[in-house]
Amino acid sequence: MAKRNTEIQDTIDNRDRIHVVMFFLSVFFLLLGGAILVRVIDIQARYDVPEEVVDLFRTTVHKHTDMPVRGRILATDGRPLAISAPLYDIRMDCTVRKKEFADKEMPEAEKQWKEKAVQLAGALSREFGDKSAKEYEQAILGGRDKGSRYLLIKKNIDLTTLNRIKTFPLFCEGSNKGGIIAEAHPERIYPYDSLARRVIGYTKSDKAIGLEASFDDVLSGREGYEWRRVTDKKAWIRDLDSAKVKVKDGADIRTTLNIDFQDIADKALRNQIAQNEDVRAGICIIMETSTGAVRAMVNLSRGDTPQTVLWERDNLVLREVGEQGSVMKTVTLLSLVEDGYVKSLEETIPTNNGLYPGGYHRDDHIGDYQRETGRREISVMHGFEISSNYVFTYLAEKAWHKNPQEMFDHIYSYRMGEAFDFDIKGMGTPVVNRPGTPGWSGTTLGTTAYGYGISVTPLHVATFYNGIANKGRMMKPYLVESIEKDGKTLKQFKPTVLNSSICSPATADTVTRALKAVVNSGTATRLRKAKLPVAGKTGTARVVLSPEERNGSRDAYHDNEGRKRNQGTFVGFFPADEPKYTILVTVYSYLSHSNFYGGTIPALAVRDIVDRIYAIDGSWNDAIPSVGTLPVTASVSRKADDGIVPGVKGLGLKDALHVLEEAGYRCTYEGTGYTVSQEPAAGTKADKGSKVKIVLK
Amino acid sequence: MSKFFSAIGNTLRALRRGEFLLRIRADKYYLHIAYLFVITWISILLGLRVDKTLAQSAENRITIEQLRIRHSEKQAELVKLQSASATEIRLKKMGSKAAMPQEPPTILK
Repeated sequence: MAKRNTEIQDTIDNRDRIHVVMFFLSVFFLLLGGAILVRVIDIQARYDVPEEVVDLFRTTVHKHTDMPVRGRILATDGRPLAISAPLYDIRMDCTVRKKEFADKEMPEAEKQWKEKAVQLAGALSREFGDKSAKEYEQAILGGRDKGSRYLLIKKNIDLTTLNRIKTFPLFCEGSNKGGIIAEAHPERIYPYDSLARRVIGYTKSDKAIGLEASFDDVLSGREGYEWRRVTDKKAWIRDLDSAKVKVKDGADIRTTLNIDFQDIADKALRNQIAQNEDVRAGICIIMETSTGAVRAMVNLSRGDTPQTVLWERDNLVLREVGEQGSVMKTVTLLSLVEDGYVKSLEETIPTNNGLYPGGYHRDDHIGDYQRETGRREISVMHGFEISSNYVFTYLAEKAWHKNPQEMFDHIYSYRMGEAFDFDIKGMGTPVVNRPGTPGWSGTTLGTTAYGYGISVTPLHVATFYNGIANKGRMMKPYLVESIEKDGKTLKQFKPTVLNSSICSPATADTVTRALKAVVNSGTATRLRKAKLPVAGKTGTARVVLSPEERNGSRDAYHDNEGRKRNQGTFVGFFPADEPKYTILVTVYSYLSHSNFYGGTIPALAVRDIVDRIYAIDGSWNDAIPSVGTLPVTASVSRKADDGIVPGVKGLGLKDALHVLEEAGYRCTYEGTGYTVSQEPAAGTKADKGSKVKIVLK
Repeated sequence: MSKFFSAIGNTLRALRRGEFLLRIRADKYYLHIAYLFVITWISILLGLRVDKTLAQSAENRITIEQLRIRHSEKQAELVKLQSASATEIRLKKMGSKAAMPQEPPTILK
């Protein structure tokens, strides 16, 4: 019993001890809580919290906006025509650590900082080469004295350069110690500089043009945002408790442009017009006949004065609405043949001394023709070859005098009366003076037949000729073949037909025959020796001058000094029999006394383009079968006997050279292929070291 | 009402005497409390690891973006060098007689 009482007593003692400990702990925490409460009230009521303490408690979350990367514009083979990458403006906070060094009285550190600044100045001068080291030094140290916190060092440098200058003295210490400030701004890079720049276009705050404008919504993408917070280690990370909208980069657009063709066309045009200061502008368009895909579109022009450089300033192919002159005779001819008014190109009409009854302008071509041939009749074909205005006025009046609307129905069916849908906005709207419009008069039918009275863009003309090349099937020209994202095609654009039959295939063949004749014996003979046969038509048009340009002259086409503005065009397709490409070249002049004919500058440019496309296109290569017999070679010994020239007939250049040089002769050659002749002949005597000329074919 | 005041009084007395946790039999939940403690600890650790991973991810994103920019710049440089005109100009500067082909290459069938 006593033992049990002792145990009970021990238990009570233990509990008392626990109670005491717990009691004091409770009191301690109550007091601590009370003290915290008092402090909180004190801080809230009267304590003026220092800014650095406030910073520690300030919310460390901010909204971060992710800017989308603008999509690329690609050539048809995937080479980039426009890509996005930021450029950087480099500035410097020259006052960095100045206050810290002053407050802590560290003159040695300040001196070291300035020494590094001098080294930095030298490195910047070497890197950019725009200022001397002394100038950079004065700017930086002067900025430190004046308290400059935003000194511009260099604008628009790329990332590679930025990374390099980040290794320079002082800048390598970062922004807090070195003062470097790098500000990125998105930039568009056009690797081919001026090539196709008007087609590619651009977007600026005040203006947007070209594909960049037309496909802006596709290329732009959508910006995203997320909330970010700072970690204990001062890194900014995404705040997972907040909303996030994922950034969507822009899609790429693949164009139909062949950058090699663009390069060739651009260069050919420059070669023809760069030295001619009377030329205001030159344009070229190359279309794939079967699809209407635009493979090249060049728009070179000068500014207001001939001294300005040729540059892609305006999309004249698309926007320059004007009277196109004789290239429109093909429109008339096609309509006449299709309607059966001209049954054969060999049909003849009376020459009438080149003056249509009731007409005012005599056609000098007819006068020349009469003098040369003594004939008083001319065939439709020859009238087309020499581009006679009289012949086409006569034919049009004869066919449609009673119902001119018939001719205009054709013109509208060739889509020359409207601005059809195109991948770049802003296509010029044609002006057609048809019956019932204010521009219609008794002579309009005749003038329209040879290319005046109707104003269209060069693209309309090229599209029409492409229709003839395509046997009457008129394709809509297009520039964008697909929209892609990360190499995957999102949308494919297929060729579209504008008019499935502007004429029958037989009519197209007849007109093609006439177009070939223009090149072979007409106004475009400069193209006769092109490496691929070309069919096409030249055109020379005078441009109606504005009242300011006329300067008091009553003639719509001449100013008071007799100067005029005109344009020369060649439009056609090649190879003439199996057309693969349609091409148009036009040059526009300033006010000048000079004439510009379609058969001169434009034809020469076209020839250059055709020759070079022939060499690189891959459609007209000669093929050698992988199995065959070697050419039979001469029976003369290849071995070099003393003073006897060895025979090399039938050998390629490499082998012929080897044989002749082994025999001690020097060799000259011409041509390519296999040796067909040599001089001195094989087996004859000639001194060693003398020349042997070989001809390869 | 008196019961309520009596309960409050008992609680305060229990707190003063250090018996509160014993009275509510908190010892019965010792394992749960320990479990909660470990879970909280793991949660904090995981949170720190997630922060670290996100920070690494942010750094990687910057690196990837820089690589993309460099790729674009290099691509532009290369494409510029590749154009036929640029090649012709370089060849001319080097004094080379090589020129653009005049004929298409012959192909082996």
